[in-house]
Amino acid sequence: MYTVGIPRSLAYFFFLPLWKTFITELGHEVIESPPTSRAILDRGVKEAVNDACIPIKLYHGHAAHLAENCDFLFCPRLVSVRKHGDFGSETFCPKFLGLPDMVRLALKDLPPLIDTRIDLKQPGGGSQEAAGEIGLRLGNSPAQVKRALRLGMAAQGYFHRLCQQGILADDALQAVFNGEKIYPPQSHGQDITIAVVGYPYAIYDPYINAGLLKILQQQGVRIVTQDMLSDRELNRQDSKLPKTLFWYFSNRAVYGGLHFMSDRQVDGIIHVTAFACGPDSMVDRLLEIEAKRHATPYLPIAVDEHTGEAGVRTRVEAFLDMLRYKRRRR
Amino acid sequence: MIQAYLGVDVGSVSTNLVIISELGQLLASKYMRTNGRPIQTVQEGIQALGQEAASQIEIIGCGTTGSARYLTSMIIGADVVKNEITAHAIAASHEIEDVRTIIEIGGQDSKIIILQDGIVTDFAMNTVCAAGTGSFLDQQASRLCIPIEEFGGYAAKATNPVRIAGRCAVFAESDMIHKQQLGYNLEDIVAGLCEALVRNYMNNVGKGKEIMAPVVFQGGVAANQGLVRAFKKYLGFEVVVPPYHDVMGAIGAAYLAREAVKRKGRTGFKGFNLENINFRTTSFECRGCSNACEVVQFFENNNLIARWGDRCGKWELQVG
Ligand code: SF4
Ligand code: SF4
Repeated sequence: MYTVGIPRSLAYFFFLPLWKTFITELGHEVIESPPTSRAILDRGVKEAVNDACIPIKLYHGHAAHLAENCDFLFCPRLVSVRKHGDFGSETFCPKFLGLPDMVRLALKDLPPLIDTRIDLKQPGGGSQEAAGEIGLRLGNSPAQVKRALRLGMAAQGYFHRLCQQGILADDALQAVFNGEKIYPPQSHGQDITIAVVGYPYAIYDPYINAGLLKILQQQGVRIVTQDMLSDRELNRQDSKLPKTLFWYFSNRAVYGGLHFMSDRQVDGIIHVTAFACGPDSMVDRLLEIEAKRHATPYLPIAVDEHTGEAGVRTRVEAFLDMLRYKRRRR
Repeated sequence: MIQAYLGVDVGSVSTNLVIISELGQLLASKYMRTNGRPIQTVQEGIQALGQEAASQIEIIGCGTTGSARYLTSMIIGADVVKNEITAHAIAASHEIEDVRTIIEIGGQDSKIIILQDGIVTDFAMNTVCAAGTGSFLDQQASRLCIPIEEFGGYAAKATNPVRIAGRCAVFAESDMIHKQQLGYNLEDIVAGLCEALVRNYMNNVGKGKEIMAPVVFQGGVAANQGLVRAFKKYLGFEVVVPPYHDVMGAIGAAYLAREAVKRKGRTGFKGFNLENINFRTTSFECRGCSNACEVVQFFENNNLIARWGDRCGKWELQVG
């Protein structure tokens, strides 16, 4: 039995149910880094290459935090999870593709990485093979791998079903692993619905966005995110675009934004964008143009290592005032 | 006694206080430097206003805005606490009917607000980049050894503004020095700086926004005629600088107080005599986890009335 560390950043916020269940069911212990803190952020900023985006820096901080305490660091090379896009060529953002190399070069004294290439856009998928490779690294038999993968997929499916009931992803993660009973959010006392779109690691990491979701909830906002939509609902939006973007999480954010722009229940859209993110320079502009076309109120919030609570709060308060004045006027 | 409303806008650079009448006339105003001491500045400002006005004016509502709006609200007993965007928008739309665009440039930040039919439809704020804020001009003025107040006068005399390159304050500065060395005259350089600031503002805060007239230009920097000219030139139409352009946030807060008091019935205003109340803050570093939050405690006469700065809510306390 090994101890496998999973950094609490990037795809963690989206694929943890599969990853953790799979590894646990193989008979190993999973440890996760704690929620982002000042110390983790500072460490990441120090260790990572200077011009990396803030989520990548943060990942370095989390990885460094785990390094001493695990036998393996789980850092798969995420290339693609589906055949999608104009030439079936959608991948993750290039930084995900190079993540294991970046981490290995930047951090010293790392345990071996599980850096299996996950590239499911090829004919026949490839998840069995990828799972098999991980199993081999961890000394498990093909039969064990098969079973663990099945259970992992089931957990992932359960997570998505919870999200689609309107539960925020971090609550849904709690429910998947701690069996905490989660009631779908009540609409009691909430007069405004806001769609928060962006990368899961920007939306669900409260440190990096200065507690955006909590601020919204305190202000009586019902929050919806792209992760509450099914793949079917999301992908339907693709026909509205002349061209599909190349990157998985970017496409999800754009589709989510487009979906909510034509949802009459949604009063406004907040796009959480990461400072120094290459793809976001397109995603944000695209959403801004589309929001204007749909006459949907739109607020971009850029997060970086200096994101302060005050700045986020001021923007959010002004945005909500704007929506409420508008409603009163109608 | 005239019944009136008090508005207080406390930002990192300046603290502004105004008193307006029921009909929105400005009865008194104060523009002060915050100097990193918001509590004292507010107390002094309130007292100074009291000396001027307390004998004829009864405050029946008060509101706060600006980055220290929550702190200030506890000091004065505010009826409403509002963000700067909303406060500026309210003030401008009282000042100019049908205003469509508000350009607001302060010392440390700048904003753009787009309105339609009196309500905000879009806005943006910049707090990161200095090249589109007043501090950019302040810096260059001191480098040129011209008092900032005279900046506008110099710019007005320019015949051929120099093009100062650079999207960033640092580059603009080195380009300006370069132009100086090439022998351009001061007037043309000053006008060029104003135009550079306008370009930076438009590329940064104004990016992607459709700017329509009437445009109101407010904030302390709007006193600078050189900038007003540069904005006109860039936009190709008039920009309006309201008479009390430097205290518009406070005026907005006062208007909002008028509304709030109509709803809640009576004011929480603590009065002009704040000198007998001792306000102070202390702070400590929480050791609860590796965030090591700097937790601030706010006392009124030794009573702890608020606490903030914790990321987890462990120390959260808000009374009243
Ligand atoms: S999509 Fe943007 S934020 Fe995410 S890893 Fe890539 S560059 Fe960074
Ligand atoms: S206040 Fe909360 S988040 Fe901040 S250091 Fe203490 S325990 Fe940690």
